[in-house]
Amino acid sequence: MESSVTTALLAALAYYICYAGNWMFGQCMIERPIVVGMVAGLFLGDMRTGIMVGAALEAIFMGAVNIGGQVSAEPASATVFAVVFVLSSGIDADAALTLAVPIGVLMGFVSMAINNVAFNAFVPFIDAAAERDDVKAITRINFGAWGLRFGIFALIMFFGVLAGQEAVSALVSGIPDVVMRGFKAAGGFMPAVGFAILAKMLWSKELAPYFLLGFILVIYLQLPLIAVCAIGIVIVAAVASRDMDLMNLKKSLKNKGTASSESDEVEDFLS
Amino acid sequence: MSDIIKKSDLSPEDKKMLTKIFWRSFTIFAGRSGGQVRQHGAAFIWVMLPALNRYYKDDPEGHRQALIRHAMFYNITQAIGTYCMGLVASMEKENSTNPDFDPQSIVAIKTALMGPLSGIGDSFFWGVLRVIAAGVGISLASSGSILGPILFLLIYNIPAIICRYELTFAGFTMGESFISEISKDGLIDVFTKCASIIGLMMIGGMTAANVKFTSIVEFPIVGADPVTLQSYLDAVFKGLVPLGLTYGCLRLMQKRVNQNLILVGVLALAIVLALLGIV
Repeated sequence: MESSVTTALLAALAYYICYAGNWMFGQCMIERPIVVGMVAGLFLGDMRTGIMVGAALEAIFMGAVNIGGQVSAEPASATVFAVVFVLSSGIDADAALTLAVPIGVLMGFVSMAINNVAFNAFVPFIDAAAERDDVKAITRINFGAWGLRFGIFALIMFFGVLAGQEAVSALVSGIPDVVMRGFKAAGGFMPAVGFAILAKMLWSKELAPYFLLGFILVIYLQLPLIAVCAIGIVIVAAVASRDMDLMNLKKSLKNKGTASSESDEVEDFLS
Repeated sequence: MSDIIKKSDLSPEDKKMLTKIFWRSFTIFAGRSGGQVRQHGAAFIWVMLPALNRYYKDDPEGHRQALIRHAMFYNITQAIGTYCMGLVASMEKENSTNPDFDPQSIVAIKTALMGPLSGIGDSFFWGVLRVIAAGVGISLASSGSILGPILFLLIYNIPAIICRYELTFAGFTMGESFISEISKDGLIDVFTKCASIIGLMMIGGMTAANVKFTSIVEFPIVGADPVTLQSYLDAVFKGLVPLGLTYGCLRLMQKRVNQNLILVGVLALAIVLALLGIV
């Protein structure tokens, strides 16, 4: 029993350092699974496994980004839980990953409730402090909100791990083999959702073939991603210089157009 | 204010003030004390204090008005939001010295900047730089190497911090004309397109490396080893299922289906396929 309290404490601490630290230090990405996995693994005694779990979850949660305070999953909590499941409860890594994903989604909703609903309560106090020209009060409210928010998250993590460990190992041992095979497959499927979210941000009909190019370079040529990036830079250099030339051409045509009527024909011809 | 000054022309006091704003800007999203309504308004005031305290040193009423002004909604992608901070500092300076200056224009410009700056910032920093960092990081980390997380952090943060620093000064020296100038030139369009190309190639590559499907279905052949469904699929196009699955998710998202719903759907699909004996 004592060991599970220690585990819960260490898990909550790892979570707090990564999650609260990320937002205090310029969103430096230490709340991403790939880093959280390392920290949680270090605290729970097996950094190597932690890093591998983090890498797998980073791919799954690639698209879970915090943009403009939209609701999306909260990947840091999912990562800590997955590392706890693997290292302390001895659950198979594939099953742990799959079980962690719904936790991340659920924590995303908790985070929305705190950030977007509960914290609106501070607004009148901020306004009142500004009205009084009270800089100290504004500072207190702002950084107090930081302490409060991540304190709540750390508590949820502590009790979640404390209660969840035993329950989840019991749950997992009751899952039939065929469903476990499904979980294993799901671990391979779920990154698709994350990549789709990201691709949507940048997608256009004109640029879609570049997505396919990246896919082919890796699936058929087995190029490492750094090489894909380098090829991308070469392509971009060519595209940018062509686009700049086109831009300058358009500009010079426009200038000529205002100077004489002759070039109107040229413009008509070109367009 | 419309004159563009060089960074080297800044007085030591200006440099000191902007450096302080740069350091404070790291905490901009820490509190989120304004809920959904104001988001990072209170934090914006705290970040801007080196400028506000300096310019309204002998004008408590001006200082108070500035606090009220900046308690408004604020949210711009971190690494480029400092451009807005530098710009606001230069406008507050103007406001504190020029009685004809309309302080409402500070609010107007700040509001006008949020959408476009976040648009460029989110797609570049989240969609491209982080994807490159994660692509390199994941491939090292999946074998358990500590270099994975470390390189991930370095590849993302070094450009992000340089950008944060330079833009603090750029906002102060170049003013609001800078953004309208480069967007008029079409330079921003070219930049966005180039960033999207690299981003999409990386996402395509990561889809190939991380989305996995292997079927266990076998067709028995008399007098020979059975042939797997997977070998047929690979013969058609390698990675057909992962590519199709990712594209399917993308189409659903473009139809505004909730992403968490899609995630649960994909999980259910995997279990159904397992029950059918396909995976």
